[in-house]
Amino acid sequence: MRVRALQVVSIVALVAAWEAAARLGWVDAAFVPAPSAVVHALGTIGDRALGGLGDTLAKTAIAYAIAVVLGVSLGIVVGSVRVLRDVLNPFVIAAYGIPKILILPWIILLTGFGTTPAILYGTLHATFPIMLLVIGGVRDVDRTLITVARAYGASTWQLYWKVILPAVVPSMLAGMRLGIVFCLLGVLVVEMFAGVRGMGAVMGALANGFKAPELFAATALVSAASIAIVLSLDWLNDRLSHWRDQ
Amino acid sequence: MTVAAIRLALVLALVLAWEGAARFSNPLLSAPPSVVLPALVRVLTLDSYPELPRHLLVTAREIAIAYAMAVLAGLAIGFALGLYRTLGRAYGPILAALYAVPAVVWYPSLMLFFGLDSSSKIAFGFLLGFFPITLAVLAGIRQVSPQLVTVARAFGATPLTTFVKVMVPAMMFTLVGGLRTGLALTVIGVIVGEILGSRQGIGSLINHAYGLLRTADYVALVLVTLVLIVASDALASLVEHRAQRWSE
Amino acid sequence: MAGALIVVDRVSKRYTTRSGVVEALRDVSLGVSEGEFCTIIGPSGCGKSTLLAMIGGLATPDDGHISVDGAAVDGPDPTRVATVFQDPGLFPWRTALENVEFGLELQGTPRAERRRIASDLLGPLGLRPFAAKYPRELSGGMRQRVAIARALALDTKIVLMDEPFGALDEQTRVLMGEWLLEIWRRTRKTVIFVTHSLQEAVSLSTRVAVMTARPGRVKLVLDLPMDYPRAIESPEIVALRAKLWGEIREESLRAIAEST
Repeated sequence: MRVRALQVVSIVALVAAWEAAARLGWVDAAFVPAPSAVVHALGTIGDRALGGLGDTLAKTAIAYAIAVVLGVSLGIVVGSVRVLRDVLNPFVIAAYGIPKILILPWIILLTGFGTTPAILYGTLHATFPIMLLVIGGVRDVDRTLITVARAYGASTWQLYWKVILPAVVPSMLAGMRLGIVFCLLGVLVVEMFAGVRGMGAVMGALANGFKAPELFAATALVSAASIAIVLSLDWLNDRLSHWRDQ
Repeated sequence: MTVAAIRLALVLALVLAWEGAARFSNPLLSAPPSVVLPALVRVLTLDSYPELPRHLLVTAREIAIAYAMAVLAGLAIGFALGLYRTLGRAYGPILAALYAVPAVVWYPSLMLFFGLDSSSKIAFGFLLGFFPITLAVLAGIRQVSPQLVTVARAFGATPLTTFVKVMVPAMMFTLVGGLRTGLALTVIGVIVGEILGSRQGIGSLINHAYGLLRTADYVALVLVTLVLIVASDALASLVEHRAQRWSE
Repeated sequence: MAGALIVVDRVSKRYTTRSGVVEALRDVSLGVSEGEFCTIIGPSGCGKSTLLAMIGGLATPDDGHISVDGAAVDGPDPTRVATVFQDPGLFPWRTALENVEFGLELQGTPRAERRRIASDLLGPLGLRPFAAKYPRELSGGMRQRVAIARALALDTKIVLMDEPFGALDEQTRVLMGEWLLEIWRRTRKTVIFVTHSLQEAVSLSTRVAVMTARPGRVKLVLDLPMDYPRAIESPEIVALRAKLWGEIREESLRAIAEST
């Protein structure tokens, strides 16, 4: 209760201070618009922003679906074959860690300006974290469970379907949670860099046009969408992993 | 031993495949290794880009400032939220929610506010590095076994001694891990910022080469950047292993 | 030994580790007849678990051979042998009931039937109220009972138990032993039971095989024809326990000396 009060009070205080600072001219309203101006801007850019957001989310959904399928299947294959895992793991870590922005120009050269580079780049961002976590999950499956399954006569197919796959679910979901944020990031970056449509392009245009209130409103909209998506994944995670501790 | 050999073979195969594929496609779109190599030599001898050192210094400076700020802010806020439970419970979830937003959504606002120069890159690098450091501090504090704290108190340690001699060493493992991730993300933030729009720094050179369709130069510059990134991460990992040596 | 249900015939097993070849078992022979409760006891590292794994088809002997019910063992056969491990190895994402169903599920038993079999097993084990609980919600003793129920659900002639109570506290161990004895007397399964505990050996077994320190060999086999339930303070049991301890003490001292 006290915690909730503290949260509410600090957010209200922050917004009020910000509003006052903008109105009293302590900050330049051209760069840091007052919250009231942002709310107003939300109304004026409504259709354009929602259209852009829808476009972005559609590309993200496609890229994410591809990344989940690729990441999970490759992760299980690489994770269960010792040689593949030993050889490839550093490459997967590298592919996950290096700034993929470096190859974005090349992707644009190859695929042009449009939907394809956004989907490709989003997939590229989301596949490796999912794959990496699934590889770790398969590697860390409790050996005893595998011994039990063998002793009880599990076929290879049963071993994967009834033991390894369920055991990997928590790592898979953790990877998918990381992956969705990276995926959305990838799509937005392409739209900002070379987009003609989508929220990233809208935001880039607003920034270049010095339309601060509209830009803030658009930023708030994407952020809210992203938080909503992650929270629903968390909810799914809780539903699917109720057998785990805590 | 054999694993290393297979890895090497894999890399060689990839380079050969790249050579094969690139030779038969549009030279504007892709450069084979045999073309990139001379371009790389010209880049390294400062033949094609005499200003390269200056641009690298600009990028390095942006990274250094952004990382220093991220470490300071991350440690301060992490410890404040971790050690004062009410603060942690009130602001922790807000922080976690903000972390669920892909950081690049803040970039246009930063660019609008700070302009096209270094400060917008520093701000973006800071933003990316700050979260993992803060979250590592929080996770580290949660991981300190209450048993260790009880032992320290039973031996008469003051809160400050307990913090310095028990909490900090016990959370060191997680903490340095977070510091390393923070560095990697700061580097990414600065480079993303530069590529999305800048006049100076290695990212601007890469953009320039790509804009003029000088594909071989573009690939060479990317390789140079990758080597520097890998080197900085290797250095961080060295520090990390030293700090973590007590645990297996 | 010829008419035994389980025949272990001059079996040897070696492991290659980083520090060289370790001889786990040398020339082990053992016969277990139908309906017996045979305990294998010996110092740490004497290869008793390895022997059990080979009988269960989870490992293969380097020399010698093993047959169960007249057929040579090659790989696990859950229609004849069910195994209980020291780590219960329950699937954390399955409820107690679903864990008990596991073996039947693998064999393709229809859902309704395997559910009925599993439920019937949970009752006498005092697990009925916990059927829908996940392993993390169960105590150590309850987890091991679920693991035993999972083995019994296969309704095999033979049950192998590898230190099933090794991780439990003393009181729980004694109660689990009494409870296991009751099941065994009711079902008359053939049990091979690996343990460290003299108490378990003397109160449960019809026969005890004592193994030597590494490389493990069968040092002696004792018949225990006494009736159940056995009073642990009876002179007969106390004497037997002392005799077993004498044999094992010597081997344990050797095992300790070799490991340092």
